[in-house]
Amino acid sequence: MTDARQRTQALMLFVAAASGFVALSYEILWYRVIAFASWGLPGAFGMLLAAYLFGLALGSKVSGWFCKDEARTGDPKQLRPLVGFVFFANAAAWLVAPSFAWTAKFTDWRLPLVAVGVSAALLGSILPLVAHFGIAPDDRAGQKLSYVYLANIVGSAAGSLITGFVFMDRWPIATIGLVLGASGVALTAVLAGFSASSARGRAGLALALGVATLALFATNTRAYDRIYERLLYKSKFEPDTKFAEIIETKSGVITVTQDGTVYGGGAYDGRFNTSIVYDRNGILRAYGIGAMHERPRRVLMIGLASGSWATVVSHLPGVEHLTIVEINPGYLKLIAGHDEVKGLLTDPKVEMVIDDGRRWLNRHPDQRFDVIVMNTTWHWRAHITNLLSVEFMELARARMNPGGIFFFNTTSSEDVQKTASTVFPYAMRVYNFMAVSDSVLTFDKARWRRTLTDFKIDGQPTVDTSTPEGKKLFDELYAYADTIHAEPVSHGLESRDRILARTQAARIVTDDNMVPEWREVFRFQEPP
Amino acid sequence: MKRLRLYVVFLASGFAALLYQVVWQRSLYAIYGINIESVTMVVTAFMLGLGLGSLAGGALSKDPKRPVLLMFAGVEAGIGLFGFFSLDVFRVVGQVTLGLSPAATGAVTFVLVLVPTLLMGGTLPLLVGYLVRESKNVGKSVATLYFVNTLGSAFASAAAVMWFLGHRGQIGTARVASLLNFTVAAIAYLQYRRSLAEPRPAAAVAGSEPAADSGPVADSEPAADAKATREVPS
Repeated sequence: MTDARQRTQALMLFVAAASGFVALSYEILWYRVIAFASWGLPGAFGMLLAAYLFGLALGSKVSGWFCKDEARTGDPKQLRPLVGFVFFANAAAWLVAPSFAWTAKFTDWRLPLVAVGVSAALLGSILPLVAHFGIAPDDRAGQKLSYVYLANIVGSAAGSLITGFVFMDRWPIATIGLVLGASGVALTAVLAGFSASSARGRAGLALALGVATLALFATNTRAYDRIYERLLYKSKFEPDTKFAEIIETKSGVITVTQDGTVYGGGAYDGRFNTSIVYDRNGILRAYGIGAMHERPRRVLMIGLASGSWATVVSHLPGVEHLTIVEINPGYLKLIAGHDEVKGLLTDPKVEMVIDDGRRWLNRHPDQRFDVIVMNTTWHWRAHITNLLSVEFMELARARMNPGGIFFFNTTSSEDVQKTASTVFPYAMRVYNFMAVSDSVLTFDKARWRRTLTDFKIDGQPTVDTSTPEGKKLFDELYAYADTIHAEPVSHGLESRDRILARTQAARIVTDDNMVPEWREVFRFQEPP
Repeated sequence: MKRLRLYVVFLASGFAALLYQVVWQRSLYAIYGINIESVTMVVTAFMLGLGLGSLAGGALSKDPKRPVLLMFAGVEAGIGLFGFFSLDVFRVVGQVTLGLSPAATGAVTFVLVLVPTLLMGGTLPLLVGYLVRESKNVGKSVATLYFVNTLGSAFASAAAVMWFLGHRGQIGTARVASLLNFTVAAIAYLQYRRSLAEPRPAAAVAGSEPAADSGPVADSEPAADAKATREVPS
């Protein structure tokens, strides 16, 4: 093989790998943004992938028009259209994440999918163009293409690992956007260097790319300014809107509003509050565990979020050990900065595990619990079926001690309530939670009184009954146990029979049918 | 094989591949978790499989004597066969291997998806090799095949969201994809048989492109247009 041919091959493989790296890195960024904008709606992920693939397909087709029959393999002139495609692909891809943010005030996440398609179209043109540049049309064309394809895949895998694991864990989204934008300019510069046939041409291209780089650095901060605020507040975004906290890790984005409301991946994830008196996060449900189980010695909690629930559960009378399995380590950073909940990190009876909840349960068949608690996220979010299906409920059942309770948030899904009431012989709705068990289950008034009376955090009682207001609140809370006998209301208790009668039209949730996630393909949440 | 038919079957192949990808990822995430490590492991396993498959397909494609359409039919049938039983295989293997270390879990995931992704990855170079012999234009061949295949995947992604997953679930969606693979395989095989029965056109033997067409390419299509016999610049 001649030097010129070797250089052509090396350049072809490098461009295929580098473009794969940049394209997949951008895709990771776009997934994060659309997840935040849509609250993790599975349909949004599917449509993002569809837009991306439509774009790739069209870009590939269009690039064929630039592949002249008479072109010579390795001819630097062939790189010229490639230089243009790489540059504009990178510019368009860099703008996609901001386009989601800046259009959120006026429209939902579907319109910016056009930007995804355009970017992908430009990115999709690179592979055919580079193949046409470097592969001769002979019997070995298929084999040589396989090397290009492999290089592209290796680059993509590297993008997945480096951007997904390293960049996402260390840098905010704006910095990643800048790094990817600069990488794209660098790739363009390499191609431009090979394509220019004269010193003047090289100088012109160098000047143009220098200006592009300056423009990138000058505008990046502005383009990515308060991107998550724009995506969450949408039409309610104002010039002074700003989160109190943003924690970005490879596992996701956690944001906290100025009023202490936590959003995980853009979806409501609770508020900092452990007080039943100023109950602004439905914390009564956590206290309710004390009314349903005589002595919940060992408790498993799947999901940490703001730590408010875990703090209450860890202080319930009788709790000796609380295992918390959280998938996103960012929540540990979050609670470390909040006095009301940071005690969890040093509480000797609390064990923190970073893992997928279902996998952890599967991998610990020897563990048994008196209560398994999940303040589950919205029933329609991507992959939530893994925690709401018949299969998961059977798994939870297998990890419960005799008399154990599985207590979890259905976020008012009738499908999930019916599933729970069908899988377990004893079931009760507590607000939008289901409490289920293989043993008789009651919201016991005596235990409820004892919980309200004995519960203390830092020596402070739940309700100060020394005042008339406190006494009145105590009586109201105590009366909650009687709602099981009244006509069911959304915030009260409801018996299994009534749940089954009410949810006849609902479907049983299985791993296979994923009912909650697909019952309504598109949902658009109101901004806070 | 008429080009249009080739494009249609490759579009269907891309449609099926994306349905599998969606369903298999869901199934594997349920087994191994949806934490970033597991997700990356599964996605990387998919990519590595496709990349290795590409190498294998490329190696097979370079010999013009090999019956490309027959190989393509075999590959599609293989994907369909695996796809039909795939979710059961994942479930059983998942139960056995759940307690393994992350590295071992990654290796098992890789092996699980290796067979089908190897086959999927092989189809593009195989067909590019086939088409370049006709068109003599690498860029256009790659562009068109990549276009139809990716277009099929794009349609599948939208269809999965809008209909398949909600109405057919994971098993039903995988079965549809499997049926598509078998249909593609059958069409490719029938075309291969038909090409065996057809007399080779004189132009293919005595034309100006001996390197591309002189071998006994039993399944190769007669020149579909003028480009197939055009002189190629060196």
